[in-house]
Formats: sequence, C-alpha cells, structure tokens
Amino acid sequence: MPEKRIVLENCGVIDPSDINTYLSRDGFKALEKARKHMTPQQVINEVKRSGLRGRGGAGFPTGLKWELCTKSPEKERFVICNADEGEVGTFKDRYIIQNDPFGIIEGIALAGYAIGASKGYIYLRAEYHYLRDLLENAIEQAKTKGFLGEKNNESFGIEVREGAGAYVCGEETALMESIEGKRGEARYRPPFPPEHGLWQKPTSINNVETLANIPHIIFRGAEWFSQIGTQQSKGTKVFSVSGDVEKPGIYELPMGTPLRELVEELAQAKDLKAAQVGGASGRLIPEEKLDTPLAFETVLGAGAVIVFSKGRNIIQVVRRNIEFFAEESCGKCVPCREGTQVMSDILRRFSLGQGTKEDLTILEELSNAMMLASLCGLGQAAPNSVSDSLLYFRSEYDT
Amino acid sequence: MITIKLNGSNVEARRGMTILDLCKEKGISIPTLCYHPQLTPTGACRLCVVEVEGARTLVASCHTPVAPGMTIQTHSPKVIQTRKMIVELLLSAHPDFCPVCNKANVCELRMIAADLGVGLPRFRTKKRYYPIEDDNPYIIRDLSKCVLCFRCVKACREVKMANVYSVGYRGHSSKIIVDNDQPLNKEVCRQCDVCVLFCPVGALVLREERFRKISRKPFIIKG
Ligand SMILES: Cc1cc2nc3c(=O)[nH]c(=O)nc-3n(C[C@H](O)[C@H](O)[C@H](O)COP(=O)(O)O)c2cc1C
Ligand code: SF4
Ligand code: FES
Repeated sequence: MPEKRIVLENCGVIDPSDINTYLSRDGFKALEKARKHMTPQQVINEVKRSGLRGRGGAGFPTGLKWELCTKSPEKERFVICNADEGEVGTFKDRYIIQNDPFGIIEGIALAGYAIGASKGYIYLRAEYHYLRDLLENAIEQAKTKGFLGEKNNESFGIEVREGAGAYVCGEETALMESIEGKRGEARYRPPFPPEHGLWQKPTSINNVETLANIPHIIFRGAEWFSQIGTQQSKGTKVFSVSGDVEKPGIYELPMGTPLRELVEELAQAKDLKAAQVGGASGRLIPEEKLDTPLAFETVLGAGAVIVFSKGRNIIQVVRRNIEFFAEESCGKCVPCREGTQVMSDILRRFSLGQGTKEDLTILEELSNAMMLASLCGLGQAAPNSVSDSLLYFRSEYDT
Repeated sequence: MITIKLNGSNVEARRGMTILDLCKEKGISIPTLCYHPQLTPTGACRLCVVEVEGARTLVASCHTPVAPGMTIQTHSPKVIQTRKMIVELLLSAHPDFCPVCNKANVCELRMIAADLGVGLPRFRTKKRYYPIEDDNPYIIRDLSKCVLCFRCVKACREVKMANVYSVGYRGHSSKIIVDNDQPLNKEVCRQCDVCVLFCPVGALVLREERFRKISRKPFIIKG
C-alpha cells in the first residue's frame, strides 16, 4: 500500500501563517457544514460511524467519547487537544501543528460544537514552546474570520496552555491536573474525564492527529472514511520513524499496512534486528514478525517506530527505556515509582553481565505486577519492552 | 440494590459504595495502606487491588465503585502475587532499622507484610534517606521511613484544613514537602497531631512520644 495523505493533505501545501491558503483548500467548510446543517448529535453520529479511534495511543472510539460527554447534566464542558507528544520517538503531532495548525483548530471547534463545550484548550508540551506563536496566530486569524469566539466566552474560544516538560502530563488525567495548576500526577478512574474531567466538568481530551481527522470526516462523510483501513481500525495513521534507517521521518499510511513496508520499503532500514512500535512504552517487534500489520488489533500505539539494526544490544535498548520511565514516573503509585527503579537496577546488572537467574524471575514477576496494578498507563505500559525482550531476545540475558 | 458476584457467591450491594466497602461489610479483609476511612481515597499504594472479570488490569478496591453484574475475586493467585510484589517493593525502598524504630516493628507496613507472608524482600533498591527534621517543637519528621501513602497530606488538608504538606519532586525522589521543601516548623502545627495519627509508619511522631516504650510485642522478621 502506498502512502495516503488525509491528515497531512495540507502539510507543505498551505502557508501555516495565513488562513486564506487554508480556506482556499476547503478549509473550515466542515465546520460551516456542521454549524449550518447538522445538529451536535448528528456530528457525533457521523464520527461514530466513521469508526475513528484515538490516535494518542489508547485507541478509544472518538465518537463514543464525545457522546459520553453529552450524557452529563453538567452544562459547562471542555475540549482538550493533547499536544504534549511526550512518547519517545514521536514527532508527528509537531509536524501537523507546524504545517497545518488550522486543521487542528477546525477539529477542536467541531469537537466543541459536538459536545457543547464552552472552551477548548491546546496543551502544548514545553519543548514545543517555539510553536506557540504560530498556534496563537492561527487561533487569532480563525477568530477574525468568525470561526472562533473569545477565550472566555460562550462562543467557544481556544486557549494554549504549556506544559513544563513532564512525560506523564501527556496522560489525560495528569494533563488536567497540570492545566488546573496542580502537580502533574494521574487521577484514579472511574470517574473518567467525559464525566468528571477538567475542573471536574465533562471533558473530551483528544490527540492532535485525532482532531486533525475530524474536518475530513465531517466534510467528506463517514462512509468515505470507513472504507480506508481494517475491520477495527479505520482511516490512516501518521507514523514517526526514527533509528537505524536511511530515511527517518513522517509517513502517513492506511491502517493495516505491514510494518515491513514502512520500515524496509519506505524508511529503508537495513539489517534490521527489531523495531519498537509505540515508542518507549511500545512493543518490541523482532525481524521475524515484521509482517505484522500496523493497526489497533495488532500493534500501533501513537505511531512511533524506532528501528534497531543488528549491531544493537537489546538489553541496552530496554534498559534505556526503563531508565526513562524511572525518571518520568510521577511517583504517586508504588508499582511504578519503586518498580521502575528496581527494574533499572536489574537491567544495569544485566548490561554489565552480572545478572542472575533470580534477577530474571524478579524481572518477570515485577513486569506482571506493574502492568496489573499501576495507577496509570505509564506504569502499566513501562514493562512492555522488558517482557517482549524476555520473549524474543532471552538469549541476550545470559546468566 | 445491585447484585454482585463476590468470590463466587451472589451478594447485594448499594449503588455508589466501593468494592472495599462491600468487602468490609461481608467480612472479607483486603490490605490497604494509603486508604483511610476518614479521608478521600488516593489510589497510591495499589495494595487493595482485586480482580474484576473483564477488566484489563486489576482494579484498586478502595476507589472503584461497585457496578451491576461485577464479578470480583479478592484473593485469586494473581491478586496475591501482585500484592506480595507491592509489599516487597515498599520494603525494599524502606530503611532496615525496624528494631530501633519508634513503632518498634509493629507499624502498618510490617503488619501487612506479615499477613501476606512477606519477609525480607528478594531485591534491594535505592533508599530515600533524609535528615531527621526535629528542629520544631511539635512533630518529629523522619522522612527516610516515609512510604509515600499521602495520608498526612490528605489529613492536613481534609481533617485539619491547614494544607501544610504537599508533594514535591517526582518518581523515586518524590517527597512530602512543606513549602518549598523546608523542614517542618509551622505555627499551625502547635497542638495539632492530626497527621501523626494518620501516619502508618514511624515517619511522623510527636516529640514527647519519640522515646516512649511501646508495650506491644514486636513481630519476628522472617526471611
Ligand atoms: C504516560 C502517558 C503519556 C501519554 N502521552 C500522550 C501524549 O503525549 N499525547 C497524546 O495525545 N496522548 C498521550 N497519552 C494518551 C492520553 O492519556 C489520552 O489517551 C489521549 O490523549 C486521548 O486522545 P485520543 O483518544 O485522541 O487518543 C498518554 C498516556 C499515558 C499513559
Ligand atoms: S503509573 Fe507511574 S506515572 Fe502513573 S500514577 Fe503510578 S507512579 Fe504516577
Ligand atoms: S489502599 Fe487502595 S490504593 Fe492504597
């Protein structure tokens, strides 16, 4: 399957600092269509029928998330665009913001219309500070053209909020704590954000890429969108490919494309040993499984693909991942706070050739406990690469 | 009233109650550390996890409300193994001087460990050592013993409504702090021992109790 540009359709074509170039390519037509000819429920139904699922990693059906927000009797509601993009090896959201900020704004406005939100937030990661002006300029222009209202007003305005550099603040509930001005740590669920989110109000939080899909779905219709992709994963996915490849970068492909096509044909990996799909918290795919299709049913995450060639030591790769999580754990729950630390100690021993059989047992038991008992997705997904390496590369753990 | 399958038998539960509330009513004991009946739940220690059919992970019973048709296992092998690992993690990050601690080896952590049959942890990790804070006249804080249950933070906020404590730093270095990490020395702490009463271990003690003899019999540490 060749590349297919939907989300990235306008990237490199329009001028991100001039709304007129976006308008000339049917920009904001979807928003006009929705506001003039569709009820909020019809917008939600359209997104539900399209089969769109969240692109931030978890793959939750977007239309359903929106519908849950409208179920609450609470009238003040929020939309958050998650532009924290903290996952190791992802840079697709940055590319979208940089090249097509209007598409995101239109998506947020559509989400706001659908759930009846009074305000939208874009939570921008601290490292993307340099994109803030570009985003605010785009918001300003959309406001001048009458597509958005003031920041604190019934007519739906969008405010940009910046993070302070914590990975966990990409996690939806920690992100909300951060916007509220608190320490970025995960909340327990239930209640889920569509019921009690930002300031305990119903909130829909969506990834940049998810929202960038919305205008296309509303403008061209759910039928068109749902023809692309697989049974359970509709549309395209934007991948960020990095590591041992000739052509690292951004690729948009229909869901279900085999991993091999992305890394070998497009990114031109040579002598591949493994690819990690989904960033540091993603799954480690060995060479022999490279024909796995990229979709929610199999393996996807947020679309970061990091390629490791034959010369790489898997223990080092995994150890580096765990050190990252030990650094980024929020420190609230025991399995993640202490578990990542213990794991990184053990992996350090293995990388020095000092690991024991007992260490292997503990590594396995600890991975299970962290996946099963951690409070948020960080601790639950942190051991992924450890367990995959124990499954596929056990021989490298010589004891 | 809703019906729930708890450890194989059908039981009646009230809407809105947590799984832990239900288990207490039915006489099933579940270990808890960060939970305290007088405080809002925190969900930090994860010791109270139980298995709910259909859930991707185990769920913490102290903050998860019951739902119609839930099938719950409170002591399945998976649950017990996970709880044991959590205790091991807590112990591995906790200093080894239980015999000379003010709580003399009978703190909540030790009791939970004994209940689950966990002796010395199989692995070691970095401990969090801090100087003892005894430069205030009221409370002595020995944060090296802190298990980060957040009960003092919540007690101060919710019971005393004073908000003296908050959480600083992150990951393994997380710490219960006062102001911008200053030693505890606040006027509001005079004649208030709320947090001390809520501390499950020996990290918070009243000055006058610091060296009082404890009459309970210490546990024997296996391992
Ligand atoms: C530790 C952690 C970090 C996360 N970081 C991000 C992130 O940087 N960007 C993002 O969009 N989602 C991130 N997520 C996923 C969000 O919690 C949330 O599921 C997502 O924003 C929902 O949007 P979606 O439904 O459009 O995917 C993270 C999750 C976890 C557990
Ligand atoms: S899993 Fe990690 S990041 Fe998430 S709440 Fe627990 S300590 Fe914090
Ligand atoms: S008692 Fe439930 S998480 Fe600590």
